[in-house]
Amino acid sequence: MEILRVEDLCKTYGAGETRVEAVKNVSFSMSRGEFGTVVGVSGSGKSTLLHCIGGLDTADGGKVFLNGRDIFHMKENERTIFRRRNVGFIFQSFHLVQELTVEQNIIFPLLLDYRKPEKASVEEMLEVLGLENRRHHLPGQLSGGQQQRTAIGRALITKPSIVLADEPTGNLDSKSSQDVMDLLLGASKHFKQTVLMITHNMNLTTSADRVFRVADGKLEELGGGQE
Amino acid sequence: MKHYLDLVKFSAKKHKKQDRMIRLCIVLSVFLVTVIFGMAEMEMRAQLLQAEKSDGSYHAAFLVDKKEAALLGMRPEVECISSYGSVNYSLNDGYTIEGTETCILGFDEELLSMFPAADIIEGEFPKNEMEAVLNENAKNRLRVQVGDRVRMQTPQGITRTYRIVGITKDTALMAEHDAFGMFINAESFEKLNPGDIDAHWELLYFVKFRSFCNIRRAIRDITVQFGLKESQVRENVKVLALMFQSRDSYMMQFYFVAAVLAVLVVAAGVLMIAASMNSRVAKRTEFFGMMRCLGATEKQVKRFVGKEALGWCKTGIPTGLLLGTALVWILCGMLRYFSPGLFDELPVFGVSPMGIAAGIFVGFITVFLAAKSPAKRAAEVSPLTAVSGNAGRERMKKGANTRFFKIDIALGIHHAWGSRKNLFLVSGSFAFSIILFLAFSTAIDFMHRAITPLRPWSPDIYFYTKDASNAIPKELAEELSDYSGVKYVFGRGYGKGSVKAEGQERDLTLVSYDSRQFLWGEDSLLRGSTENVEKGEGLLLVYREDSVLMDSEEVTIFTQGQGREAALCGVIGNIPYDSSTQEMALCSEKTFKNLTGEEGYAVLDFKLFSDAEDSDVEQIRQAAEKVLGKSIGFSDKRIGNREIKGASLSMAVFLYGFLGVITLIAFFNIMNCIAMSVSSRLKEYGAMRAVGMGMGQFLRMVFGEAAAYALFGSFFGLGIGIPLNRKLFLSLVTFRWGEPWEFPAWEISVILGVMLLSLILAVLGPAKQIKGMDVLELS
Repeated sequence: MEILRVEDLCKTYGAGETRVEAVKNVSFSMSRGEFGTVVGVSGSGKSTLLHCIGGLDTADGGKVFLNGRDIFHMKENERTIFRRRNVGFIFQSFHLVQELTVEQNIIFPLLLDYRKPEKASVEEMLEVLGLENRRHHLPGQLSGGQQQRTAIGRALITKPSIVLADEPTGNLDSKSSQDVMDLLLGASKHFKQTVLMITHNMNLTTSADRVFRVADGKLEELGGGQE
Repeated sequence: MKHYLDLVKFSAKKHKKQDRMIRLCIVLSVFLVTVIFGMAEMEMRAQLLQAEKSDGSYHAAFLVDKKEAALLGMRPEVECISSYGSVNYSLNDGYTIEGTETCILGFDEELLSMFPAADIIEGEFPKNEMEAVLNENAKNRLRVQVGDRVRMQTPQGITRTYRIVGITKDTALMAEHDAFGMFINAESFEKLNPGDIDAHWELLYFVKFRSFCNIRRAIRDITVQFGLKESQVRENVKVLALMFQSRDSYMMQFYFVAAVLAVLVVAAGVLMIAASMNSRVAKRTEFFGMMRCLGATEKQVKRFVGKEALGWCKTGIPTGLLLGTALVWILCGMLRYFSPGLFDELPVFGVSPMGIAAGIFVGFITVFLAAKSPAKRAAEVSPLTAVSGNAGRERMKKGANTRFFKIDIALGIHHAWGSRKNLFLVSGSFAFSIILFLAFSTAIDFMHRAITPLRPWSPDIYFYTKDASNAIPKELAEELSDYSGVKYVFGRGYGKGSVKAEGQERDLTLVSYDSRQFLWGEDSLLRGSTENVEKGEGLLLVYREDSVLMDSEEVTIFTQGQGREAALCGVIGNIPYDSSTQEMALCSEKTFKNLTGEEGYAVLDFKLFSDAEDSDVEQIRQAAEKVLGKSIGFSDKRIGNREIKGASLSMAVFLYGFLGVITLIAFFNIMNCIAMSVSSRLKEYGAMRAVGMGMGQFLRMVFGEAAAYALFGSFFGLGIGIPLNRKLFLSLVTFRWGEPWEFPAWEISVILGVMLLSLILAVLGPAKQIKGMDVLELS
């Protein structure tokens, strides 16, 4: 089942001499439960591509279909609601709400959607993340790995169609990076969760179903991670 | 946590310190607006009470006939109407009781409600034709009681006998002229019509309009419908002015000034809140950006902002209102304490609806608008740009200028200059402190001219010889100074003579002064000294524009047919007595005796203790009359003095209160703004300290930023404040008294001094805070 389809996506920054084509005619698609990684050097356009796919940024051309719906055809408000229900974001620098505890951070997107969090699924999530003992801690009291696990929990709690992760291990040590990867892979395998992750670490691509490379805004598929 | 808006609660807990600063700022600005508007309203009430006491609470009087008056009374906007007639108001038309000129007022009982001063303290209002109410002065001097009869002589030679049915308080005018006053009812009054006698007799209808009625329009309609001439309509100008119902050209200038000041106060409040909240815009924009990344809609962010702002307002606004109201209460209490009797009707714990409404309006509107700004900014850009923090900060086009300044000061200036909006708001709020101070200080100038405060030499009571002779013996003055209630007594002798100088001969009035009067005169001395004059070695010339004696050092004075040389030891600017008609010179009692051969007084002034009673005054009077009989006149100025004291005190309390509050707010606002700015950059400062910035450098950096705000604030504040000061001065003072505007140097130095002081303290506060934190904590 196709979850994501990107058609001729283009994004340009600046004008004249400072014009940068960050994304050039990118097209690809992903199915349910697929785990994709995007690699590329700094400034190649990876993050821009991810942000356009997630509707955090607008594109200059092309289309992005998520669950069959063109996100650029939606009005801003509609797109925001669609995003919070269908896209889970994980950032390199976590972006947790510093005022909220681990548990509160995880359920926050549900509250934004006026949904009552199910106790059992929150417990399950905390258990999966290994944060049962840290549920009442504030982000400032956690290690980087724990913070990123909290962010993963926040991205997964709404059971989105796709999780977009922008270098989620960029700020972590190798042990924490592996934990994060295991979590994302586990979600992909067990919950049939589609994941698209940007990474610099080629070692992390080995477990991916598909590996993409972005160079000068162009996307090419390198094949499966095992290959 | 059950709802996303619960985050507001958690956020407030986490950002207690910043929230406290925002709340403090809201408190300050709501306090400023509440106090200024509240004090203005209370001052208006106090002045209105004063005006109603001295002039009555009626709104207009119409010179119409009975039939027209009946029609007038039927108009829906008229609350009450009463006829009011007066005869012998000028006390020289020959209506007398026992030989004393008596002012006769005839009116309906309803009029008493319009004249609080005409309160009947004993007995009742005359119901029948030959009944009357007398004033206290008449009662005491005629030694009559309610139920007795008095005979009044008319200029036509008719004697009318009235039964006394009540006693009323003395008015300031009656007491000063030592005259009798008599109230009779309207029917009796009509019978007093002198016909062909040349006495001033008129019957007016006093009207009080209903509340919330457009009095201006009502008066205009009545004038047109009844075809009245201008002279047939008398407005109670002071009362109407205080009700904002006057169209008098001076009052229009006054309203203009009041409107300008009101707008300034509101603008200052708005700027103060906006400036303090703007310092958190960058952080807030990041926060809202993150919320949007997580899927919060614009509406949800707005709701969040609204709830957060409501939280600040919930405590900030009531605190500001309470503090403001408490200060107004203190000032009202002061008025009542220092001027008992005059402001009894002014409630100490009165609430000013205008002040409270203005405080709430400024607090809510500004907080909501200012709080929305980061949310709006976060909504304008993509959530990702917002969360990155780039949307909240203005892009720097240039680095800090290290060519002219050291790196620390350069960075400080750069911080201030970096965000133009912040610079505008913070220096704008500083500028408004200066503008407000300069604008309100013109009200003090107005006060000094509008109300002549009671001077130490203003007597409470005085005697004067009716023939202007110096017949009051010194011994009497000495004797009376020991009487109960007397603080001190001082007299003046008047002597006629002529003077020759520069070949011209002119009439000269010589006035004798005692040492106390010379002491009071020292402040008005234009040239020379009083010392030699006091010793009896010369004269003190009273300044007159066309005086021929101004440049003389010695003059020849002719008194009693003899010419004597006298030295002019100095010139005095003004004296409490009229000196405009001829040359006047002051001398010691010794010199006066030498020149005129007389040593008595023509005027004997008494200053009484505040607790002196009417019976004390009566005893003094009897003692004086025992010696001098009917050759002396008596004047009681206590009521008038109390009114002057009350009016000047209330104005001084409120106007100096305005300036005090503005100065205080300026002080706290500067401290708070700088503290907020530092607090919003704590991380940057932490990083700077981590790379080796010392405390001294840190201090200089914060001072550089604060000084940049202050410099811009002063520049704009003075740039707008000085012309505004001039404009308001022209409207308030020059328009009425013709005095030219002068550069407000004193006012400028006061407010700039306060700013400098608060700047120094503002820098020291955060410095202490940073010093107490370690670098890791900061970064």
